[in-house]
Amino acid sequence: MKAMNRRKLFTVCATIAVASLAVTAIPAQAAEVGVSSSEIKLGMTLPMTGTASPGYNKIPAAVKAYFDYVNANGGINGRKLTLVVKDDQYVPTLAVAKTNELILKDKVMALLAPLGTANNKAVAAVVNPGARGIPTLFVNTGYSGFADKKKYPTTFSILPSYIMEAKIMAEYIKDNFAGKKLGLIYQDDDFGDDALAGFKQAGINFDVKVAYASGSQSGTTAAGWMQKLQAGGAEVVILFGVSSATAAALGTAAVMKFAPQWILGSVGGDATTIKAAGVPAGVLYNAVGASFAPATTDTTDEYVKLFQDIYLKANPDQIFDNNVMVGMNTAFVTAQALKAAGSNPTRKSLIAAIEKSGKNFASAALVPLNYSTTSHVGYNGYWFGKYSPTGDLKPAGGVYTVYTTDSGNGAVVKSTYKRPAMPAKGLPN
Amino acid sequence: MHKFKSSHHLAFFIIFGFILFLAGNRVDELRVYQGASIAVYVVAISSIILLTGYSGQVSLGHGALLAIGAYSAAVARNNFHAPVVLTFVIAVLAAALGGALLGAAAARLSGPYLAGTTLALAIGLPSLANQFPIFGGEQGVFFDVGFPPPSLGEGFTQYKWFFWIAGLAALISIWLVANILRSRYGRNWRAGRSNETAAALAGISVSRSKILAFTISAGVAGLAGALLSMTIGTVSPSAFPLSLSFSLLTGAVLSGVSTLSGVMIGAVTLVAIPEIADAVATRIGVSERFTTNLPGLMVSTLLILTVLFVPSGPVEQHRTRQARKAAKEKN
Amino acid sequence: MFQLINTLLIGITAGSIYSLMAISIVLVWRSTRVINFAQAGMALLSTYFGYEAIVHFNSFWIALPVAMVGGAGVAALIELVFMRLLVKRSSTGPIAAVAPIIATLGLLGLIKGIISSIWGGADVRLVGPVTNVGYSIGDKTLAFSPLKLLTLCTVVVLMLLLTLLFQKSNIGLSLRASAYSPEIARLSGVKVDFVRTLGWSLAGAAGAVAGIFQTVNGNGAFSPESIEFALLLISGFIAAVIGGLESLVGAVVGGLVLGLVISFVLMYISSSLFFIAPFVILLIILFVRPQGIMGVKAARRA
Repeated sequence: MKAMNRRKLFTVCATIAVASLAVTAIPAQAAEVGVSSSEIKLGMTLPMTGTASPGYNKIPAAVKAYFDYVNANGGINGRKLTLVVKDDQYVPTLAVAKTNELILKDKVMALLAPLGTANNKAVAAVVNPGARGIPTLFVNTGYSGFADKKKYPTTFSILPSYIMEAKIMAEYIKDNFAGKKLGLIYQDDDFGDDALAGFKQAGINFDVKVAYASGSQSGTTAAGWMQKLQAGGAEVVILFGVSSATAAALGTAAVMKFAPQWILGSVGGDATTIKAAGVPAGVLYNAVGASFAPATTDTTDEYVKLFQDIYLKANPDQIFDNNVMVGMNTAFVTAQALKAAGSNPTRKSLIAAIEKSGKNFASAALVPLNYSTTSHVGYNGYWFGKYSPTGDLKPAGGVYTVYTTDSGNGAVVKSTYKRPAMPAKGLPN
Repeated sequence: MHKFKSSHHLAFFIIFGFILFLAGNRVDELRVYQGASIAVYVVAISSIILLTGYSGQVSLGHGALLAIGAYSAAVARNNFHAPVVLTFVIAVLAAALGGALLGAAAARLSGPYLAGTTLALAIGLPSLANQFPIFGGEQGVFFDVGFPPPSLGEGFTQYKWFFWIAGLAALISIWLVANILRSRYGRNWRAGRSNETAAALAGISVSRSKILAFTISAGVAGLAGALLSMTIGTVSPSAFPLSLSFSLLTGAVLSGVSTLSGVMIGAVTLVAIPEIADAVATRIGVSERFTTNLPGLMVSTLLILTVLFVPSGPVEQHRTRQARKAAKEKN
Repeated sequence: MFQLINTLLIGITAGSIYSLMAISIVLVWRSTRVINFAQAGMALLSTYFGYEAIVHFNSFWIALPVAMVGGAGVAALIELVFMRLLVKRSSTGPIAAVAPIIATLGLLGLIKGIISSIWGGADVRLVGPVTNVGYSIGDKTLAFSPLKLLTLCTVVVLMLLLTLLFQKSNIGLSLRASAYSPEIARLSGVKVDFVRTLGWSLAGAAGAVAGIFQTVNGNGAFSPESIEFALLLISGFIAAVIGGLESLVGAVVGGLVLGLVISFVLMYISSSLFFIAPFVILLIILFVRPQGIMGVKAARRA
């Protein structure tokens, strides 16, 4: 009889398991996934917590602020825009899990601005949104490969690629720091590898290279980085890591009284995040940085004024910084894409809309968008500037000198792009 | 100990497998994916039940053993193009080897020393992968078991394929573990755990049986690791954080650390917690921070409550109650 | 040569903090025979108390005692409520031996989760009372600053006080007796329960100091996910085991050894290997000398 009890127990456990699995049956979806008559649902994965999160975790609030503004002004073709955010802590395996959740559980129409080179590559390989027709809009990474339409048919870049950035940086170095010893701090994964490839293509050779494992950046480990840079005699150091790594490097260098000429890459160059991490503004003063959007302190710019207004109304106790600026700009471009997708948007029509009209979308950037039926490349250039005594990035000489190039062997040229006027009220027209 | 014919056990597993197969066809992709995760946890938790519940050795670092299995499987597949079944076998063997080494080192340790060593292993081993390019560094390598064979039809998704593979592997491994636990080895482990001196006097080589426990437990853990990386498609150090080892320990305690039959309880709970946490968070509408932390908080709270109030696990508790009732009725 | 000096200095300063952490673990072990895996979590919580004190009072010298008192209080609370209940309920059964270990691990997870819920995502920094910019010798900068000097002094003073208390005072004797043989101690008139709580409180205070200085010595930022916290967690325990778990002096030695090894690996080898170094040292020590550097080869292992 004890045997019977045991078998009963097994059966009970089995039944519980099966029952819990069989609980749901999904009602059929009439329209496109993530699109209802009143709502369009988009999903985002990025580090909201964790070592890499400082600075980037302000992006969802920025995007939501703009989406709420659009919703308050009639939405897109009568539908409200909703953003579902999942925290992946900058870990590729978590990014895969959270993206699966967005697709299977939250049933979003498209993935918006997922952050991280390694994360996006893992998602592309494992979840394969391309094969499933799920658009991955305006990925928040500069990995040049994502612009390849054949390999990633539903993915659109927006940020200039790291190769473009490296090439333009190389020109700046050749013009201003020729002959000096160069050092580089980069992340030890695909993000850093792409940067290395870019610098190689641009013909820059480093005297000291320091790689850090993603997630290991801190005051303790940064002491080791500085040690190597000092020992190698680096006079100009490029910081091509995430914001928290840049902040750790600068903070530790200040304590060790090591002060080379710093060049901050676009990924980790947000001044507000660095200062919030305790780096004194004086350390940032005269460092070189780059951006493709207008400087966030430039209140004469109509986009900066509008975005700042919208953001601060929704988040009065926050600071309007570069992460917010770029986030809202991406939201702006996304809203236009969804509008161009038609009154009954589908995933296919969204992709087609960006390919057809994307290059004419309005945006805050001082660089043009380059979408076409053959290319998913977004922005393709940067302007360079220096950080002010208060640690804010300002264009050199007060004038935006923008350079554009490509991710291939094209030359770096001074851009003649004139940014068109902002559409009325900053809404898609 | 219950006398149980092997054939009864086997028949049960076959029936259960058939039920799962039917269930897999009726539910949507998300549930199927979760089913695969449950299967993975079942295998992983059973390895801890074997080691801690039966052999009395605490291991805080089972995540590291899963990592060994996962990386071996991935390397075998990517660099040597091994077929999927072979990669699982390799995962088991590699992890078992690691377990044997660990067991040999740990045989002299007990209690806190063993816990601390396995803790350090859990933290240190995955980051070792950063040192060798073949393991792909911090972002890891991919582990692709390929697509389901076309003969199964168009609607057969990748996730269902995972569910089938993981489910089958879990059924087989549980059947094996159950039989091992009922065998002479299982009895030796229990003897050694209760009283080492008495066991030694009875002729059991305690240290050898401890090492054997570690080896087998590690092999099973290695299989779980390979299955885990199949479901998430990648193998990287960050897939095996300390919290994974803790979760597995929690699952084992929830199941009843020395009761194999409770293993489904622990596995289902572990998979259900993030879901429940999500539902609770959206219902209450709390801050973003709390939502991220809620699953971890629930796991820790459950662990503490279980250790305090149901230390031998719900199954054992139920059995004890039944036995007491029966004894009372007899009188 | 200069790099060697810097590496040594960094190692000794960091090692002193690990020693303090190890001391708190040994204190709990010797007074209640439990390895408290949540010790680092409690230290982190105490550091947050210190942070709140700085926010309200803007003084490091108020924050430090607040953290210590807070740490002692939390530890006492945990001992009174949690550990007593645990010992009562799980002294028999299949997991008797491992119950305290699992329970303190659960406690660690709980504390981390609570910390993240209350303070997570917020920009939390602790700034030391003196600068962390290194002293200059000629045109080179030493990896030793007023802040590091303060750390070293505070930790050494605390270690001496605790060792004196434990080894030479009546309270210390009661602590040791209560752990080794509670029944006999009770018969001799020792208030065993009070003494056990006292042991935990002292450990909590020591942990708080370790947490505060570990934070200001990094670059001031701290969180449950930071590297500094992970280091505190594993190094405290590993240093205690290396030292032998039985003596406070051993804890100090273990902490210094660990600090130096990590520093050398960080500066001379590679910054990504430094996480594995503690584990390797632990394995080596346990293989060669399972009782630790200063431990006695006792029959009693658990």
